[in-house]
Amino acid sequence: MFECNLLAEGLQVFGDVGLSVLGAAIGAGLVVIGAARGIGHIAGNTVESIARQPEAGGRIFSSMIISAALIEGFTFFALIVCILALNKIG
Amino acid sequence: MITKPVILAAENPLSHVVQHPLFTIHVGSLELVFSNHMLMALIAGVLMMLIFPLLVRQRTIVPRGARNLVEALCEFLRDKVIRPQLGENTDRFVKYLWTIFFFILFCNLLGMIPLAGILYFLTGNSHLGGTATCNIYITGALAVTAFIMIHLSGIRQQGLWNYIKNFTPPAPWPLVPILFVLELIGAFVKPFALAIRLFANMLAGHTVLGALIGLALVPRSYAIAGVTVMGAAALSMLELFVAFLQAYIFTFLTTLFLAAAVHPEH
Repeated sequence: MFECNLLAEGLQVFGDVGLSVLGAAIGAGLVVIGAARGIGHIAGNTVESIARQPEAGGRIFSSMIISAALIEGFTFFALIVCILALNKIG
Repeated sequence: MITKPVILAAENPLSHVVQHPLFTIHVGSLELVFSNHMLMALIAGVLMMLIFPLLVRQRTIVPRGARNLVEALCEFLRDKVIRPQLGENTDRFVKYLWTIFFFILFCNLLGMIPLAGILYFLTGNSHLGGTATCNIYITGALAVTAFIMIHLSGIRQQGLWNYIKNFTPPAPWPLVPILFVLELIGAFVKPFALAIRLFANMLAGHTVLGALIGLALVPRSYAIAGVTVMGAAALSMLELFVAFLQAYIFTFLTTLFLAAAVHPEH
């Protein structure tokens, strides 16, 4: 009861605009968590495999760059959604 | 006391990545607005049309200078990226793929030159520069050309019925309609993702750069402003790398889709 009163009070103070900004900002942070985890995983495996077999370093590095760019592709798509949500203010 | 409008860090960081109208042409009841992104795309195209014929005209066998750079890029693309995917169809598509690579590269690199700031002192207009690929419509147009190229080439190569049969993967027959719809959606989503990837990478880079330089003005101190400018210079190095990388990724993915359309491997 106390908690839903807090939300009602918050809505009165911030209004819809503040909630949408909050949603967009938290969304951007979540996007970064997912993307950083994915690309960090790729980078870690790449470093490990280059350490294991340095002669294949060039090809492994190119695969890493391509995979990182692909992951960044849809990361930025989610970021664009956050920016669109922010732009809806006012 | 800052009285002139601040050039590199304008009112908000997004204001120098969005389009600004330069002049408007009235055709009957239509209003055609010419914006700075269109101007930069035009400059990129004109530069390509001027530079490449001049470089091709050199009659020496051994390339030197600018021709060496362009030939190295073209050869890397053709032999390491396009030929492993397309095989014997390389010569059909290499001109198109080279064109989009260099167009995207020129647009991205022209965006890194602060033309707007320099020309602000000559003319009063502070928006005569910008990145053409920061515009979803320009990257969308590139993706539309990729879409047309992929599907038209696939249809010309295999015939319409065979090409549509490519969209039905070998699977048990109850699943085939669902998989067909999924492949059809994928055919539209893949060029859309190409456009969004290029657009969002350029947009994010320039927005962060604008926000960082804008941070230099908040504390009224030259020391912090100097550090911020050095950080912006380092970020610009990353932006230059991203310019090349995004052009390469666009070309590489278009090559992959072309190869899948022209000779599918199942």
